[in-house]
Amino acid sequence: MGRAIDDAEAVARARDGDLDAYAVLVARYTLRAHRAAFLLGAGEEAGDVVQEAFVKAFRHLSQFRAGAPFGPWLLRIVANETRNLTRSRRRREALALRLGTAELEGTAAGSPADEVLAAERRAQLVAAVSALPDRERQVVVCRYFLDLSEAETAQVLAWPLGSVKSRKARALNRLRGLLAPVEQNRVTNG
Amino acid sequence: MADRAGWQDAVESELRAAGRELTVPPASDLTAAVRQRLEGSTVQRRQVPALGTGALRRQLGWRAALIVVAALLTVLIATPQGRAAVIGVLRFAGVELRQEPGPARSPGSNASLPGERRMPLERARLQVSFPILIPAALGQPDGVVVSDRGRVVSLIYRRAPYGLVRLDEFAGRFNTVYFQKFLSLRMMTEVEVNGTKGAWIKGPHELVYVTRDGTLATASARLTVGNTLIWGTSQVALRLEGKLSKPAALAIASSAH
Repeated sequence: MGRAIDDAEAVARARDGDLDAYAVLVARYTLRAHRAAFLLGAGEEAGDVVQEAFVKAFRHLSQFRAGAPFGPWLLRIVANETRNLTRSRRRREALALRLGTAELEGTAAGSPADEVLAAERRAQLVAAVSALPDRERQVVVCRYFLDLSEAETAQVLAWPLGSVKSRKARALNRLRGLLAPVEQNRVTNG
Repeated sequence: MADRAGWQDAVESELRAAGRELTVPPASDLTAAVRQRLEGSTVQRRQVPALGTGALRRQLGWRAALIVVAALLTVLIATPQGRAAVIGVLRFAGVELRQEPGPARSPGSNASLPGERRMPLERARLQVSFPILIPAALGQPDGVVVSDRGRVVSLIYRRAPYGLVRLDEFAGRFNTVYFQKFLSLRMMTEVEVNGTKGAWIKGPHELVYVTRDGTLATASARLTVGNTLIWGTSQVALRLEGKLSKPAALAIASSAH
């Protein structure tokens, strides 16, 4: 590959059947797509989900609106594939949202109490997100863990914008409730 | 209200911070795997809609399709998952066999490959990137046609008692499709030519040339004559077509050097 091509050009060429151009997009978006699939619940099967999503995306490139950003369009297919997977699973596997353990241990080893507390709170928060109802968890994952805007979240999850807003508000409320004891602890300790 | 916005901001920034620390297992490079899957199907994506003439539709009444890639054939059939995956196309040496009605054929019998040029054999050898094999059983061809800027070479023979015999040769690269055939897979039997797998197809069927970018060259769509044998060597894929018996075709194929 001599010169770098931008997404729009890669999409245009891929649409004409250019697999080299499509490989550029695959390489460029694998990490993001993989992170999205994993955090939306694909877990260990994130790799399979992403591969399937890339194959489907290629076949549906004719439906891609020229000039639109490729990322959210792809992530919508990733989210849909993840949904198909989790739906077909017999048992709902515990969502494996975990914080980097090395980091947590490092913090606990020899750092100020504040940081230990912050790490604990964060772990608790992640556990609380894992325990959210499906849709509320999805909106939290998209907005805060994947850094998508509300509009992008609506596109990726295939929901109306209003649902994104209301489910996000509900999720935050619930998380606030779950975090309240910690907040109180901190207040009494401080 | 300000208080409410305050806690919301706090939760949101906590969530963002937590997101940055989440453990996500490493992603593996998917470019090769995705490419491999797409190479098996770019032509499929561009499938021209099946023709609508009632008679032919009845005649070609098979809807189920069957997909196998030649080199994977044994593995696929050997595993239960493999067997389940055999649903669309059989592929032999650059030729894809599809069990479904083909695209509409151009009227008349003047179907041709893109950019056909007739030339002497020696000049043709300079135009193509693969060695041109000549079957000793047929001898020197009566005509040589190079098509699509050196992508395909066709050797034309008029030999009693077979009449017109055509041998198409193209680079034997595994994942490239040069021709699609539309037929009932019952017409096809697997054969062995010089130790490698080949396909023997009994009876006429629709043949379409597939261009470099995976589109069907509809001007090339035609019914084949007689029977067809498809096989390949490590460098060249070959398609022999004519009113040949199976033993005659196999004898010709194994004499190609």
